[in-house]
Amino acid sequence: MIALLLAVVLFFLGGLLQPGFVSVAQAINIIRLAAFLGIIAAGQTLVIISGHEGIDLSVGAVVTLSAILVFRIVNGNNGMVIPALAVALAAGALIGLANGIGVMALGIPPLVMTLGMTGIVQGTILVVTQGQMIGKAAPIMGEAISQPLLGPLPGIVVIWLLVGTLMWMLLERTGYGKRLFAVGVNRETARLSGVRVPVVVVLTYMASGVLSAFGGFILLGFTQNVFLNLGTPYLFPSVAAVVIGGTVLAGGKGSYWGTMAGALVLTLLTSLLTASQLPEATRQIVLGVLLLALLSVYGRQRALRQ
Amino acid sequence: MQISLSAQHVTKRYGGVTALSDGTLAVASGEVVALVGANGSGKSTLSKIITGVVTPDGGELILDGQPVTFAHPHAARARGITAVYQELSLIPDMSIAENIWLTHEPLHFGLPVNRRATLDRTRGLLDQFAGVIPVLDPETPVKDLTPDAKQIVEILKTFSLDPRFIILDEATASLDSQQVNRLFDLIEQWKRDGRAIVFVSHRMEEVFRIADRIVVMRNGQTVGDLVHAGASEAAVVALMTGESADADAALAAHRDDTHVNGTGLAAVRLQVRTLTSQTLRDVSFDVHDGELLGLGGLRGQGQEDILLAVFGAIRHGGAIEISGRPVQWKHPKDAVDAGVAYVPGDRNTQGLLAIRSILENLQLPSWAKYGFPLRTSAATRDAGQAATDLSIVMAGLEAPVNSLSGGNAQKVVIGKWLLRNPRILLLNDPTKGVDVGAKAEIYRLLGELRQAGTAIVFYSSDDAELLGLCDRVLVLHDGVIRAELVRGDSLTRSNLIAASVGASHGSIQ
Amino acid sequence: MSRMTLQRILRRNPYLFTLGLLLVLLAINWMLQPNLFETRVLNGNFRTFVPLMILAVGQTFVVIGGGIDLSVGAILSMVTAILVTNLAPDTGPGGFLLIVGLGCLAGMAAGALNGFAVAILRLQPIVTTYATSFIFSGLALWVLPRPGGTVPKLLSQFYRRETPLGLPLGIYIALALVLAWWLLRSTRYGRYLFAVGGQPDAAYATGVPVNWIRFSTYVLSGLIAALAGVALSLGTSSGDPRIGDSFTLDSVVAVVLGGTRLSGGQGGVFGSILGVIVLGIIRNIISFANVPNWWQTLVDALIIVVALAAPGLVRLLRRNR
Repeated sequence: MIALLLAVVLFFLGGLLQPGFVSVAQAINIIRLAAFLGIIAAGQTLVIISGHEGIDLSVGAVVTLSAILVFRIVNGNNGMVIPALAVALAAGALIGLANGIGVMALGIPPLVMTLGMTGIVQGTILVVTQGQMIGKAAPIMGEAISQPLLGPLPGIVVIWLLVGTLMWMLLERTGYGKRLFAVGVNRETARLSGVRVPVVVVLTYMASGVLSAFGGFILLGFTQNVFLNLGTPYLFPSVAAVVIGGTVLAGGKGSYWGTMAGALVLTLLTSLLTASQLPEATRQIVLGVLLLALLSVYGRQRALRQ
Repeated sequence: MQISLSAQHVTKRYGGVTALSDGTLAVASGEVVALVGANGSGKSTLSKIITGVVTPDGGELILDGQPVTFAHPHAARARGITAVYQELSLIPDMSIAENIWLTHEPLHFGLPVNRRATLDRTRGLLDQFAGVIPVLDPETPVKDLTPDAKQIVEILKTFSLDPRFIILDEATASLDSQQVNRLFDLIEQWKRDGRAIVFVSHRMEEVFRIADRIVVMRNGQTVGDLVHAGASEAAVVALMTGESADADAALAAHRDDTHVNGTGLAAVRLQVRTLTSQTLRDVSFDVHDGELLGLGGLRGQGQEDILLAVFGAIRHGGAIEISGRPVQWKHPKDAVDAGVAYVPGDRNTQGLLAIRSILENLQLPSWAKYGFPLRTSAATRDAGQAATDLSIVMAGLEAPVNSLSGGNAQKVVIGKWLLRNPRILLLNDPTKGVDVGAKAEIYRLLGELRQAGTAIVFYSSDDAELLGLCDRVLVLHDGVIRAELVRGDSLTRSNLIAASVGASHGSIQ
Repeated sequence: MSRMTLQRILRRNPYLFTLGLLLVLLAINWMLQPNLFETRVLNGNFRTFVPLMILAVGQTFVVIGGGIDLSVGAILSMVTAILVTNLAPDTGPGGFLLIVGLGCLAGMAAGALNGFAVAILRLQPIVTTYATSFIFSGLALWVLPRPGGTVPKLLSQFYRRETPLGLPLGIYIALALVLAWWLLRSTRYGRYLFAVGGQPDAAYATGVPVNWIRFSTYVLSGLIAALAGVALSLGTSSGDPRIGDSFTLDSVVAVVLGGTRLSGGQGGVFGSILGVIVLGIIRNIISFANVPNWWQTLVDALIIVVALAAPGLVRLLRRNR
């Protein structure tokens, strides 16, 4: 809630710093950019809610892999979009499954497990493509994402709202969602209440893989092109968006609406900084300070002394 | 050693909730003062204020005639004021010795820790409980200890500071009767040394055994300061509850039901044969429809393993049949689906989802019933009904469960199973650290479940409960059933105690 | 040896798996590169390990204390930038020490910012140190906009060529780090570190100055990252404002490989150093085994994941037996 308010304030602040910043077109543009981050951060939200240091650092690599897969399979052919999407989502689910097994069955800390998975996915991409990106995005993908669909809202924004609604349903209106929160707060309580904790956690990493793969698909529609580090810039911002959105890194508490607002705030910040024409060193310092300030508003943990 | 400490009209609020509105307590050298009150009456908050863990909003602390404020637990400790906490203050991965001497390790030349001295002194301290706990290596990590041993390490940790003033906050909750006796011997010794002791407990019998004075709290206020000699248990309980509800009366009321509900003709609902686990050796028993079977004995003799094995929560050998059908469960989920419910021994770490709502805590095992998408209004209605049935005192179903007092939180743990109408209910010391009112509520509930035919297996560390509630009691010792005591026949206090300490069948009449 | 004691030894020394892996990898490396154990080759190898080794020691402190520091790479870059822009080819030892002191102060200041945010403002360490890493990288770019700079020749030659008693300088540095760790561990501060990482509430109630300990781990980590920066500048004789980026996550992986628990309260520096050497040897093997370029990332990642999974696999097999 605060994050959403902040996004609006930042937007109008942008107008003060940059005449002409405040316009409907610019607002839609920001939301469109935020949508990519927001969709990629959806899986991150689930994983972080699952607790026990849950975090998915493989989202960037999955985004890249999915985009490359779709790029290759579709190869400019509108008819191949659905099969390509299916393959990409399946690949995401498989990577999530491996992450989940590594974390739950082998007891590898999520941070390093998913980091290792990033290496494996990137390594596989290198081995298979040998650096040559062959293929072409389908025309229909770009149209579906960029062209106005509902009034002035482009397809991507509509898709994001749809993802938001589905995520809300998933978290608040399914047994899985309720069990996920339980697993995030206290795994022993969950187990002794009849929740199969490993199943819930593995499903969560799979969901994260699928959502990141979907994010890669959408991103390809926007960029129309793929390269090796396509998804990397979204990795840490996806964590930051979740935290700025009020989801607790310790697990068991949070919402996707918050993450959406967090993605908007982050995207606005980076857009404003990019538009500011400051030298890169200064931009980085300012971004760091602003992130720190944001976190001190939201991310405070419980005090030891009451 | 001389000390006098008093808290006068101390207050503390957390957000909108007043935890303490008038905490008053005075203790002097050579005195044991019992601090009693229902859960949420402000005992723990008052204790934490005295030891500097919590900052008071108002009132004052007077130490040796001078007003004091403690900014940290450290500051209070520097003046010789310490506490044995209810939530343990031990670091699980550190050893017994490291834990006991943390912050006052013996040093070599002022810098490196003197490991040998640390170990020797730890052994010296552990000797004070020799005979009532197994011999412990001071280098054992605390996480490997049984709950009673942890509690004893906690007590020794406090004592290692050579304090002038000690608060024992529910320090006997995990101890068996012999361990309590040893602790009381130590307390007598501390009194003679001139130390001042505050003893916080729910166990009236212990309070009356050890205390010189009894201070009673209710709703964040000190409501009575009684001299032991002139006080009756009924008077103390009346002050605690504000009415004349009486634990024994509740037990007695329930006992009347049990006679009506004989088990002679009932069918066997749960059959356990040659059950084995890490602590159990060859345990067999039956539980009938509507029967309340008690598990007794000293702490940690395998009672918990029986409950966990039946619930499918630990690896075990042997055969289990439910109403004649053999079952082989690999996960508690299987047991839950078959209508088995388990109320764990530690509600905070095993029974509750602290920051989630009361609604979600009550419905956790039952969400599957509500379809997709979840019919949340039905779930809320059912949970509300359960909360009303259990008379849970709460701000609303959406309030986080950690806003509840201990007794009400325990009702939530039980309530989540009532929503499923369990066929078999397993309870692991469900009234531990629960106030008198909530205890009575739990007893009433068990009675109702039995009327409905639920088979109940009930472990309690409180002998009075086993004697008052159960149709039969199995007494465990060292993973083996030592005795089966039947109501109206062999179920007597002396038999229960004799079997608990491992006496042979011959000495049980 | 009975099974009980074996389990106990494993629990006390969780880096044993990594030690075993290291021996296997060393054997493979030796087969591929027969002159591996010659002083010159060994010295060269160790020299490339040293910066990450030092960095991982700082990371270990923070992790045992219950945190994580994702800004160590950026601090390293920043300090490297400060060093190479202030040093001249003819800077004497006195001037060098002064400038190194300056770099260390900068590292500690950076650590103090992290410590303040995590311990005093109570922010989540992962995202906090991620955020501050932007500040430190920005400062590195500001000081040294593009790769370059210089380091006194005399010193870098000493650092590269000196091999006391025929052993690489890196081994002495590793020994010094382990020795310093053992000394620190045996003090009250060492006990506090483990207590704070293991159970902060309990440590607080016992009277351990929890916030101060947490703060100190980040300052120490900043200082140590600065020292890693010194080692790196001496080794490469120049600076690069982005050089530290790749080090951060490697330092975390090394700490985990070394058996230190990421949730805090357990572990040690010796294991982390082993972890760094394992990572280094893996890369050495990849380059000597003629692994095709395209395969290198995958092989590297696979070996790391297998190493991470090994203790868990053994546990699984034992349980199912």
